[in-house]
Amino acid sequence: MLAEALEHLVRGIVDNPDDVRVAAKNNRRGETLEVRVHQEDLGRVIGRQGRTARALRTVVAALADGEPVRVDVVDTDRRRG
Amino acid sequence: MTVDNEEHTPDPGGTASDDDVATDGGTKASRLDEEGDVAADYLEELLDIADIDGDIDIEVRSGRTYISIVSEDRSDAGLSSLVGRDGEVLEALQELTRLSVLTATDSRSRLVLDVDGYRDRRGRELAKIAQDAVDTVKETGEDVALEPMSAYERKIVHDVVADLGLLSESEGEGAARHIVVSPSDD
Repeated sequence: MLAEALEHLVRGIVDNPDDVRVAAKNNRRGETLEVRVHQEDLGRVIGRQGRTARALRTVVAALADGEPVRVDVVDTDRRRG
Repeated sequence: MTVDNEEHTPDPGGTASDDDVATDGGTKASRLDEEGDVAADYLEELLDIADIDGDIDIEVRSGRTYISIVSEDRSDAGLSSLVGRDGEVLEALQELTRLSVLTATDSRSRLVLDVDGYRDRRGRELAKIAQDAVDTVKETGEDVALEPMSAYERKIVHDVVADLGLLSESEGEGAARHIVVSPSDD
C-alpha cells in the first residue's frame, strides 16, 4: 500500500506521470521506497531545499503507522554528472 | 452580441464556443472550481489507496479554495494520522496538493487543506496563545517571543495581536521563524 500511495502522490505532481516508478526494498532496518521519475521532473519531486521530498516522506511515514520506512528519490542520471 | 469584458460566472450548460481569446486566464471563480476538483481527486485517490474513510468537502470563500477531509466516525484514527503532530502531516499534504494543482493547471494554488477540523481547533488555540502573549506584554511592558509556527499560523496570530492593539513581528529563519509580540508605540 505504501508504494502505491507514494506512486500516486508523485504521479500527481510531475509532468511525466507514466515515467514514475516506485520500487519497495526490504532490509533489516525496514522498508525503503525508491522513487524514479523522468529526469525533467527530478527538481519538481525534490523541491527547493528538498522541501517536496520532505513532504512526501512525512506523508508516507504517517501512512506507515509507525513502521520505519525510507523514501529515496533516485537520480538515475547522476552517473553522467 | 459581445463577449468582451463579461464578468459573469461561466454557464456550464451554455454554448461556450468562442476561440482562445475568451479563455485567457478564465474567470477567477472557474479557476478556483477547477483547483478544488483537481485537489479533491488527488486526495480522494490517496484515501482510497490508504483505505482511510473520509469525505471531501470543497468550499470557495473570499478568493480561496478550502478543502476539508472529514469523517462521520469521530474517532477515526486514519484521519488523525493525516494531521500528525502539530499538524505536520497536514502541512505536508497541503503542500503536495497545491503542487498537484500547479501541475494540472499551470497556476499556483493557495488552497487551504483541513483534516478532521484540525485548523478550527488550532485556530482557537492560536487565538488563546496570542491573547495570553498580549496580556503578558501589557503586564510587563516587555516583548514576548512565541514558539515557531508556519506562515499560515503566524498570520492568524498577527491578526489577533493587531486586533488587540499591540505589535507583532516575525523573526528567525525557516523552521525557527516565530512571532515576537511587543508593546504598541504609543
